[in-house]
Amino acid sequence: MTAPKTVLVTLNVQGIGPEAATQPETALHGRDAHGRYTYGGGLARVLDMLRRQGIRATLFWPIFEAERCRDLLEQSLRDGHEAASQGNAFEDLSALGDREAEVLERARDRLTQLTGIAPQGFRYTSSAFSARTVPLLRQLGYRYDSSAIDDDAPYALDADGGAGMVELPWSEGLCDATHFSRRVTQDRAYAHWVEQGDALLAADGYACLTLHPRADHGVGRAARLQKVEQLLERFRAAGAEFTTGGDLAARALRQARAVIG
Amino acid sequence: MQRIPYGAAVRADDNPWLPLDHELRAQGLRAAGAPPVRAVVCVTVHVDGPAVEVGRKQFPAGPYTAGRYAIRRGVPRHLEILARHRMPATFFACGYDVEHYPATFHAILAAGHEIAAHGYLHEAWDLGDEEPALLAKTHRIIQQELGVTPVGWCSPSGRKSHRTLPALRELGYCYDASEKDQDRPYLADGDDGFIMLPNNTVSLDDYPFYFSGHSLAAEACDNWVQEFEALRQAEGYVHLTVHPKAAGGSGTPARAAALDRFLGHVAAQPDVHVMTLEALARHCLAHPDNWRRA
Repeated sequence: MTAPKTVLVTLNVQGIGPEAATQPETALHGRDAHGRYTYGGGLARVLDMLRRQGIRATLFWPIFEAERCRDLLEQSLRDGHEAASQGNAFEDLSALGDREAEVLERARDRLTQLTGIAPQGFRYTSSAFSARTVPLLRQLGYRYDSSAIDDDAPYALDADGGAGMVELPWSEGLCDATHFSRRVTQDRAYAHWVEQGDALLAADGYACLTLHPRADHGVGRAARLQKVEQLLERFRAAGAEFTTGGDLAARALRQARAVIG
Repeated sequence: MQRIPYGAAVRADDNPWLPLDHELRAQGLRAAGAPPVRAVVCVTVHVDGPAVEVGRKQFPAGPYTAGRYAIRRGVPRHLEILARHRMPATFFACGYDVEHYPATFHAILAAGHEIAAHGYLHEAWDLGDEEPALLAKTHRIIQQELGVTPVGWCSPSGRKSHRTLPALRELGYCYDASEKDQDRPYLADGDDGFIMLPNNTVSLDDYPFYFSGHSLAAEACDNWVQEFEALRQAEGYVHLTVHPKAAGGSGTPARAAALDRFLGHVAAQPDVHVMTLEALARHCLAHPDNWRRA
């Protein structure tokens, strides 16, 4: 029997937020303002692509971007995507000290207000974690984190202070920003994704694809989305099923309980 | 202008270039049998001669001559390619280059292309309060040396500040080709006399592919064709940026050949219109209601 293959499609919803975390927005123009492409069509186009593919994805929302893209957040929920948390506004978690709990709590509460449901998952790639981050996520009721790159498959976070939580690792080689931040052509990025994705699915049957809606290091451009569709169709043809982080975490936790029970 | 959904066929009436098509036909500039214009291609050439090295405080001789390559080889080669494809282009000029190499820019004008402004020394750094004066300096140099008045500007290295647009308006410019936030032209907020013509520097520019991405010329050309074809199904605004310099640009023979192949692909499409940024800006500003921000 062939092992099941599961592909998680994740979107780090980032517009001008990363730049606006350190500079006033009024000072951001030209090369410092690539992020506005997300609002100028990039995010809407990624949602169009997912709808065409019939795939439910997991969108990691910083509150900064969720407030900025209220209509598209609601659209994503109508389309059946999962809204997970990407913190508040690209703060450096490891430098927040005692404020970390307050910032993470505010992010969870506001996303809950905006979507009507408490987020199950969390991802943060804008800074390092602190020693408190995983325990705080557990206290805040998260069932999974997806910030780590240390495994080929989901694993339990008990040893990190996240008893009852799972890690759904992402893969830097199966991420758009890794390649496009080096300004490779989209054919070259596609070749990287195929190499990484095929091998991950063959290894442990799990692959996490990470996308961004920006034009510079993301796939918000129509030409790049065509490449993403090609990749998704390739995974589908190889027998992969697409799932959300929330569904996969629930499945992993059920299996863990079954083993213990 | 309505958002054009990804992956869906665009209804004929939603083609944003129909008014342009009608204008061109009224002026006798489009063959009666030609299909409606579905995409506009603007070829922009960032001359970036020795101004770049001088701006970096490098003496422009010996190894620091990538910019001199543009003057000696790249610009003539680009002019030849554009002439063969009968395409008008927009050449962005640094004030220093115009002062020191006026013959190069007279040749560009004589071939029917547009000259627009691109800083004095391709300043990639924050200019502070000096910025408006420097924009005025390059503006005057182009007027005095070449006898033309530029109406457009593109940021050197993408650097732009809150001082830029007010200074450009003061000088009478009508477009800025520096933002990267949309796949179509759009009016600057609250000003029906100034249009933003975004330049996409990640997928339709030679320098990032060659300098950062280590691409083969054939790979860059393939990416441009893919972008062109995807945009032709959507907003239909294709803003290409090339640099005739050596080391990262498209001046050298292998890379100029890739540009030539891409332009050949464009030239073979009957539903495409190639125009300068100035011509595009004037078209958009004549129909402001069509180009408000979505």
